[in-house]
Amino acid sequence: MELFDHLSIGLQTLFTPGNLFFCFIGVLMGTLVGVLPGLGPTAAIALLLPATFHTSPVASIIMLAGIYYGAMYGGSTTSILVNIPGEAASVVTCLDGYQMALQGRAGPALGIAAFGSFIAGTISVLGLMLIAPPLAKLALAFGPPEYFSLMLMGIVMLIYLASGSILKALMMAVFGLLVGTIGQDSISGTLRLTFGIRELYDGIGLIPAIMGLFGVSEVIVNVERAVKSEVVATGARNLLPTLQDWRDSIRPILRGSVLGFLIGILPGPSSTISSFTSYAMEKRVSKNPEKFGKGAIEGVAGPEAANNAATGGSFIPLLTLGIPANAVTALLLGAFMIHGIAPGPLLISKHPDLFWGTIISMYLGNIMLLVLNLPLIGLWVQVLRVPYPILFPLILLFCLVGVFSLNYSPVEVGLMIGFGAFGYVARKFQFELAPLVLALVIGPMVENYLRLSLIISRGSPWIFFKRPISAVFILITLALLISPLVPWIGRVREKLREKVEREKG
Amino acid sequence: MPVQCLPGTDVEWYSAKKERDMKRVFQTAAVFFAALSAFVVWESWNLEYYTSLGPGPGFFPLWLGIAMGGLSLAWLGGEFSRSGKPKDRAFLPPRAGIVRILSILAALAAMAGFMTLLGFQLTMFLFLVFLLMVLGRQALWVTLVVAFLCSVGVYHLFGSYLDVALPAASVKFLAGLGL
Repeated sequence: MELFDHLSIGLQTLFTPGNLFFCFIGVLMGTLVGVLPGLGPTAAIALLLPATFHTSPVASIIMLAGIYYGAMYGGSTTSILVNIPGEAASVVTCLDGYQMALQGRAGPALGIAAFGSFIAGTISVLGLMLIAPPLAKLALAFGPPEYFSLMLMGIVMLIYLASGSILKALMMAVFGLLVGTIGQDSISGTLRLTFGIRELYDGIGLIPAIMGLFGVSEVIVNVERAVKSEVVATGARNLLPTLQDWRDSIRPILRGSVLGFLIGILPGPSSTISSFTSYAMEKRVSKNPEKFGKGAIEGVAGPEAANNAATGGSFIPLLTLGIPANAVTALLLGAFMIHGIAPGPLLISKHPDLFWGTIISMYLGNIMLLVLNLPLIGLWVQVLRVPYPILFPLILLFCLVGVFSLNYSPVEVGLMIGFGAFGYVARKFQFELAPLVLALVIGPMVENYLRLSLIISRGSPWIFFKRPISAVFILITLALLISPLVPWIGRVREKLREKVEREKG
Repeated sequence: MPVQCLPGTDVEWYSAKKERDMKRVFQTAAVFFAALSAFVVWESWNLEYYTSLGPGPGFFPLWLGIAMGGLSLAWLGGEFSRSGKPKDRAFLPPRAGIVRILSILAALAAMAGFMTLLGFQLTMFLFLVFLLMVLGRQALWVTLVVAFLCSVGVYHLFGSYLDVALPAASVKFLAGLGL
């Protein structure tokens, strides 16, 4: 009965004109950025974050969450029609989706991607609804040592799952934590690494950093080579899959949904990992694995379901523990903070409207996305024709307005430019930016929990091992850090990484 | 003594030189991070490491600086010992690409510098005209329409509907024109 009461709160919250409007805008923008190559959900959320400063927290989170799962829907369109993944998570969809398009079956490929995404999205929302409340109750027993250990484990897991060098991912995480220490120390009030610049007293703003790392640097990477404007797209007709298509796809969709949801809970680029894992799994269980890469509908259905389910799963650590699992949820955490709300175990009891409203909005958002992505597919094909030379100045415009409208500070615009240049150079040196963003967002919390733990223990680091939950997290963290040094684990990881690179390439 | 050129030697020489140069670039980056770490450790050293309550403001950055230094040295060591080509894809952009990148960064900096003086609408209009026409090579009418709609339109959209006032010109003449 309690669940029905909660659902009723969610429905009442969502079904107001304002919240419905923001839900629609979120999924619309999500589909748009998913369709447009070179602009991912992280950059889109960063760009639209300032637009939510003056809206209610519920409307803001509903919209930003809509961008996240909406981008997963839109990402498949470009993969299938033009063999260009709109999203990293849709890379694997190119393999069979584009082959289907070449065989004149773009319609069923798009159709099954949309239906698969809808089914997976729905399953993951149900999972979120059932798992989040008990997990939040469990997390009430957490103190500073448990939170510190958990956050440390989150960062290390994200590093471990990074597709590139672990050393470089670790460097980015430490650099992010360092950047997070800039400003006034929250316990003693001492200024740290501010160089006398008043604008840095409150620390490095999340928005200038994100806009620079994901907005400006993305543009720079794209204009580095010639700014191209031509787009070739094949047509899409007969979007409804046949009965045989459904027979071939329903199991991959269900398997992908469960797999994606479970991977989504873990820290890391869960959408991408889940789509690759689902593809590998479908190929392995298939009676005709030789069909994969030549237009097998299972190769579209499974990964598309998995990457959508992963978005739902990734909300669990954010909403119940207040810990983001990846760069996108780190930004959502930033959005919560901007509105003065701390996500975590108390979120459900303190802000039931926000929690349940967001969950119900995800269900409705999935229905909206189905409508947006099937009958309106022609519109998205047209969007693909917007030339990048027009698009990139508009991205920079949003970056500038977003950062400037925050505090009207040219210094923050300077910071954005600096982070943009740094992001570009870091990508050149094959550094991943996700650990940096995650560490930057949760860095101040990590430091506070560490210091509070040491205050409680009077300086003894054994507190992290004496408390059982914390000890488990620390042991997992240590195991993850040590495992690349074990030769055979390192070789397996390297082989997996090479396989992913090969399939991407 | 004349040097005999064997077929393919030039190509091999250039390839080896490119590899050496690339290695040097990566080593320089590692040294940069190591220097940054040393600076952080130095700065943190001057802060209180431990107080009567517990760890002080210097505690966390000091350990982070040390960790960063260790990782940078590990990276540097790896770059020295690594054999073979670095796994990069076209590391350095072409000259035209460098010009485009610097133009964008300079345009952003100019936008930040002049926005409060000339006002959002005029600076954004000029910024967009530059990017669309010079870098994007768009037709004049496309440039003007997009630049006008995005500068004036965004100014009024944010001011009227999102309650975010973007800066007006501080120069009297321009302010008089409503910019």
